[in-house]
Amino acid sequence: MRVLAFACAGLVGAAPAGAKPDQKADKKAVAGKKAVIDQLAIALAGVDDEAAAKAADELGDSTDPAAHEALLDGLAWGLRAPVAVQAASALAKHPAPPDVSSLRRYATHHNPTVRGSALTALALYPDPVAHAAVVQGLHDPAGVVRASAANAAAKAHVREAIEPLFALLARGEEPAARALAAMADADLVRKLGDQLGKVPDASLALCLGLVLRRPDFGPDAERVEVVRAIGKITDQAAVNALTDYIDATPKNPPRPSRAEAEKMVEARLSGGAK
Amino acid sequence: MKSALVLAVVLGACGGPVFHLTSPDNDRNALTAALAHRNLPEQPAPLNASRTPRVFVVAAGPTKQLIAYDLQRGAILWKQNADVESRIWVGGNFIVEVEHKQLVARDQQTGTVTWQTDIPGEFIGATADADRAYVAYKENASTWWLAGFDGASGKRLWKADADGVLGAPMAHGGIVYVPYNQQWLSLVDGKTGAIAARIRGIDEGISMLRVTSRVAFYGSKQGVFRLDERSASGKRADSSYAQVVVPPQLDKTTYGRDTYDPVQNAYTAADRARILYAAPADGMELGAYAVHYFRFVFGFARGGTLVWAYSNPRVELVASEDTGAAILAISQTGDLVALDPANGAVRLDQNILKGATTGSVLGATFDADGWSPSAQGEKTETVAALVSIARDHDARFDRVKELAVQALAKLPGGEVTQELLGVLADTRAPQHLKDVVVDLLVARKDPASLSVLAAQLSAHDDFLLQTQPLALGPVAKAIAGLGGAKLDPAAVAAALAALQSHLDAPTTQVADLVFVIDAMAAIGGGKERPALGSHLLLYHADDDLGSDPAWGKAIVLALENHGGPGERELLRQVAADPRTKPDLVAIIRDALAND
Repeated sequence: MRVLAFACAGLVGAAPAGAKPDQKADKKAVAGKKAVIDQLAIALAGVDDEAAAKAADELGDSTDPAAHEALLDGLAWGLRAPVAVQAASALAKHPAPPDVSSLRRYATHHNPTVRGSALTALALYPDPVAHAAVVQGLHDPAGVVRASAANAAAKAHVREAIEPLFALLARGEEPAARALAAMADADLVRKLGDQLGKVPDASLALCLGLVLRRPDFGPDAERVEVVRAIGKITDQAAVNALTDYIDATPKNPPRPSRAEAEKMVEARLSGGAK
Repeated sequence: MKSALVLAVVLGACGGPVFHLTSPDNDRNALTAALAHRNLPEQPAPLNASRTPRVFVVAAGPTKQLIAYDLQRGAILWKQNADVESRIWVGGNFIVEVEHKQLVARDQQTGTVTWQTDIPGEFIGATADADRAYVAYKENASTWWLAGFDGASGKRLWKADADGVLGAPMAHGGIVYVPYNQQWLSLVDGKTGAIAARIRGIDEGISMLRVTSRVAFYGSKQGVFRLDERSASGKRADSSYAQVVVPPQLDKTTYGRDTYDPVQNAYTAADRARILYAAPADGMELGAYAVHYFRFVFGFARGGTLVWAYSNPRVELVASEDTGAAILAISQTGDLVALDPANGAVRLDQNILKGATTGSVLGATFDADGWSPSAQGEKTETVAALVSIARDHDARFDRVKELAVQALAKLPGGEVTQELLGVLADTRAPQHLKDVVVDLLVARKDPASLSVLAAQLSAHDDFLLQTQPLALGPVAKAIAGLGGAKLDPAAVAAALAALQSHLDAPTTQVADLVFVIDAMAAIGGGKERPALGSHLLLYHADDDLGSDPAWGKAIVLALENHGGPGERELLRQVAADPRTKPDLVAIIRDALAND
């Protein structure tokens, strides 16, 4: 366990013997940089939460591996909640494999904000352990944490998260609808269409509506399928989703999906076939 | 010849009321003679003339029914509509009972009424022996009477008056035992009504009577005397006397019916809370005994250790009797149960009234001394019975459930632990019972249960699965109780993993966390140190956990007591961290004070 290194380990290599003057300048610059990182590391572990959070942010901005190491050390030693939130985000600015175990530790912290922050950071790690933590976050009793986990699952396209996201959708959780929409391909859209009657109409309409509005989703024939799936939803949210799609899509060039959506909205508003 | 002489002397001494305060008592010779005067069978046997084991049942309904059942043949002997207001008393060829304030005798073979007679006063009690029936009654404010009737004709043979309170009598081979003024037991010659002997209880009152075919017992709620020559002492110490240990959860159980309680002339709830015991060959050294308590029968060894239990499904057992060879009981629905007194094995469980009545059984009198259905290698299902009792949802028996879980907890093995945990999982179980179970789990210290306890920890607070940890704190506490015991390494590894999952879980409450930490330290053998060290670091500066003294004490002591130099160095560094909460610093400094 890395617990005792308050200051980061010296990552700057020792200067070779007989160094020339320009090398001396480099060495001086490196030493200065190290001193700054050391100061930030001390601030990170200090009693002033505001200064510690700022130090975490600055360490995250640095591309120096020593800064990253200082963040890891700070997290290992234990950071207070407001600082941990910042440190998790900072760490993920330059993701490295050793971060995962550290972030995973904070992903089950007693403070929900800390957990959410750790899960958001874990989205940036293509690591099965990180993905497992994200999936576990979807089971969290705190809604705010589930929302972070859903966002993380979408961001990292965690396939293992789809099933629990469907379960959350069935409970009407909006972050799950948004996450599924972000992850949806044609196959997933079909599965979403099959959820009619199994999940709240409003949640399904929101999810499919968001799929429609994704510029990367297509071709248009698949959008038509989405529109038709929304058309089967009786809730007013379906009309809203289709109207939003029509409003967000230019008339030209003509899109069959837009035309289909218009047809359905008109039919609904005139009290015709649903 | 000598006993007859003594009897005659005592009889001759009577003057004024037959029962009166100044009669001689505790006369050993008179008592010996009176006891010898009894005509008792050589072996335990039913009282009826044909010596056939029988049970007489009173069933409710639009019209009450009186049903005689032959236990030997397993068949109903007869049934009669009868507005029975009392219990049934068995004679030789007849039975007697009370209907509409009349003493009614019925033929024991057919159930037909053979005679009936008015009870001339307030009914106190009745009894019968082979040839006669006896009735005690109160005629006015201050005169009690005992009367003897011919069993065949109903002709009154004699009556004897009393200047004090008489209790309900019991006949025994020609002698009638009659309680008097709460302190005396008179032995009356059933043929003449004369007092043959009298016992005065010196250090215990006499309000209870019980008679088997060969032995009579008397006493009170405190204890039971065997009626023998030693009874003449009047004292417990010099008599054949016993007191058995009855758990407080089975309160109100008695050694026999209260002869001064007129309500108990009928079948009542008092018949459902009875200590059941067989007469020893001699004296009153009771070995095993049982307690019938409504739906349940518990078997105890001498000293009060519960050794077996029987739980009757759904309905209460309304009457019970220890025949010396079996414990017989009958339920409200007519199920006759016979239990082995030694181990509770069910020898018979059969509905004997199927089709005979639609009403529930109000009560029954067994005339089956010495009888038992033949044993057929029955299994004793004590654990199942105890579990059934513990899981019973009848709120009247909450205290009995305590007794059941206490008995269960004394049995080793993971299965029993599983059952105890099942009580905790039961949403309808009373909280007090759960508290008892928690204490028992902690006190149990059964190494074989570790894997069961660990498995119990598999549930977590999970929004999607809709689960929550079940009794996390108590289970962890129970695991902590196993510290120092020889444990299966695989079970320890599984338990540590399960405990750590709760240590790391975001929603584990501090109160539970403390027990989780204790448990990990108790069984971890050092393997828990990295997890506990990491936990301390994660929360040492936390506004909530870091400031909680219970948590601080638990985590610091776990690392200090069970850790090595590395853990102590870690504690020193945590104490030196300016962010560490002051209370935690103080705990660490205290813990390391001797380092």
